[in-house]
Amino acid sequence: MVIKKKLLEKKVLLLFLLPAILIILIAQAYPLLYSLSMSFRHWTLAESLVPQEFVGFQNYIKAFKDPIFVNAFKISMLFCIAATTFEILFGFILAYFTVGETFFLRLSRTILILPMVIAPVANGTIWRMMLNSQSGLINQLIGYLGIQGPNWLGIPNLALVSVIIIDIWQWTPFAVVVFLAGLSMIPDELYDAARVDGAGRMKILRYIIIPYIFPVAFIVLLFRLVDTLLVIDAIYTTTFGGPGFSTNVITLFIYWQALRYFNISYASAASWLLSICTLAIAFSIMRWQNRVKKRLWGI
Amino acid sequence: MKKFRIDFFKVLKIVIILIALCSVLIPFFYLFLNSIKLERDFRTIPPKLIPTEITTEYYQNAFSRGSKISNYLLNSIIVTFAVVFISVFIGALAAYSFSHLRRAFRIFSFAVFGILLVRFYPKVVMVVPYFILMRNFKLLDTLFAIIIAHVSIGIPFVVWLMLGFYDDIPKELEESGMIDGCGPWMRFIRIVFPVSLPGIATAAIMTAILSWNEFLIASSVVSVSAKTLPILISGYISDKGINWGPMSAVSTVIILPMFVFALFTQKYLVRGLTFGAVKG
Repeated sequence: MVIKKKLLEKKVLLLFLLPAILIILIAQAYPLLYSLSMSFRHWTLAESLVPQEFVGFQNYIKAFKDPIFVNAFKISMLFCIAATTFEILFGFILAYFTVGETFFLRLSRTILILPMVIAPVANGTIWRMMLNSQSGLINQLIGYLGIQGPNWLGIPNLALVSVIIIDIWQWTPFAVVVFLAGLSMIPDELYDAARVDGAGRMKILRYIIIPYIFPVAFIVLLFRLVDTLLVIDAIYTTTFGGPGFSTNVITLFIYWQALRYFNISYASAASWLLSICTLAIAFSIMRWQNRVKKRLWGI
Repeated sequence: MKKFRIDFFKVLKIVIILIALCSVLIPFFYLFLNSIKLERDFRTIPPKLIPTEITTEYYQNAFSRGSKISNYLLNSIIVTFAVVFISVFIGALAAYSFSHLRRAFRIFSFAVFGILLVRFYPKVVMVVPYFILMRNFKLLDTLFAIIIAHVSIGIPFVVWLMLGFYDDIPKELEESGMIDGCGPWMRFIRIVFPVSLPGIATAAIMTAILSWNEFLIASSVVSVSAKTLPILISGYISDKGINWGPMSAVSTVIILPMFVFALFTQKYLVRGLTFGAVKG
């Protein structure tokens, strides 16, 4: 009787899973596997409406030989490393300074969060205006100093720097929030003990805060590395990959191939290369974090 | 004498915070000023920073009855509400189920892990296959196409967040329901769901932000009538000063609800954002 009831319960619980699993299978798993199978075929919408013959790894080989793809990959890596580094750095500094319960600090924290909740598309439009060479606010301010401001989004290297700055502006708050959560986990007794021992601010920072916060930094690292590799909206609305190919990150490359040139199979192969990359990064950071946690926290 | 010493640390702290606050707030003020600026103020060289005359014409155009923009705004609102309700409910239900089943069967831990992977691959992968799928279902250019996609992205997040809550719910709480003869459904609705309301609020806020802001997938399955606000904004791309007014107004409209969220539900928002950090 009891066993029968338990079994029935398990069946009901399985039923609870059904809607979620169904939606994920239809809207995520199916498209994902479809694109995987397309990446081994030949299919350009310009030539035919249905997928053509099986071509093995040709699409992948083509990607490695395509200078535009290789270039997009390099730009993505540069974007990813630069943006993540500064976001972690600024995020930690701001979290360190805004921890506390005074009104000013709480208000500051609330305001500092704002950039990350707005649509990346809106973020892009704000910065298009800010960085506009003739009428943008930045160049107007530079103009007051008597210097002619540069054409931020129009010069290849500067455009890349600009989109990196835009990403930093929007996502440093994420790092701040995560670091603040980490700082709040440090027990007060540790600070008290350190002060009793006569440790100053720098010593507390070096010997208590940084070791304690280190594993938390991996969370920021994980999400920011992956998300900066997957960035598309903000660049789409500011430079659209230009000028030339200077900000053509890999997601935009895929976007162009799939939705402008309709090289479905080639775009699928490129996006699988990117997926492999992000998953590899995610896994290695999670493993690395576990090792560091064991060493620093003993768990 | 110690009282009069300038505390270098405090000065540094305040300077850094003020710089950060300015760099966050100035772009928002600039956007807002541009949304109430007359066109002639954009055209002067250099353009007027502070509007000579305040205009609300861009907002009036956006909100006037029957205007395209107000339709898109309505679309955005419908999509967001639908996505929040569907993904939070389905996701919470699934999390509850996973929380029980994965204690009994190891395979469900793998299923959870599989669902979480959704977070880590580029959404641009699914754009073309999803387009074809929606074409086959005859759902192109409908809100359904957007809602299904957003729900499929929202569910993994809700499951991930709510699992943490349901794993922590004490066994005794559910056992009392069991003694009263409640099945899993009644226990979920009557006991577990109300207890986990703070988590539900967090999940709802996070999915609302996700859906309201999402651009890529929505733009790929929609062409004319089912556009949402992010798609509209991306359509303003033009370097001419001419479009700045309407573009700023629409951007302000799309930003504002998220601001309200951030200001009034900060506790839940922060919990949603830092969930991974605290739980490891």
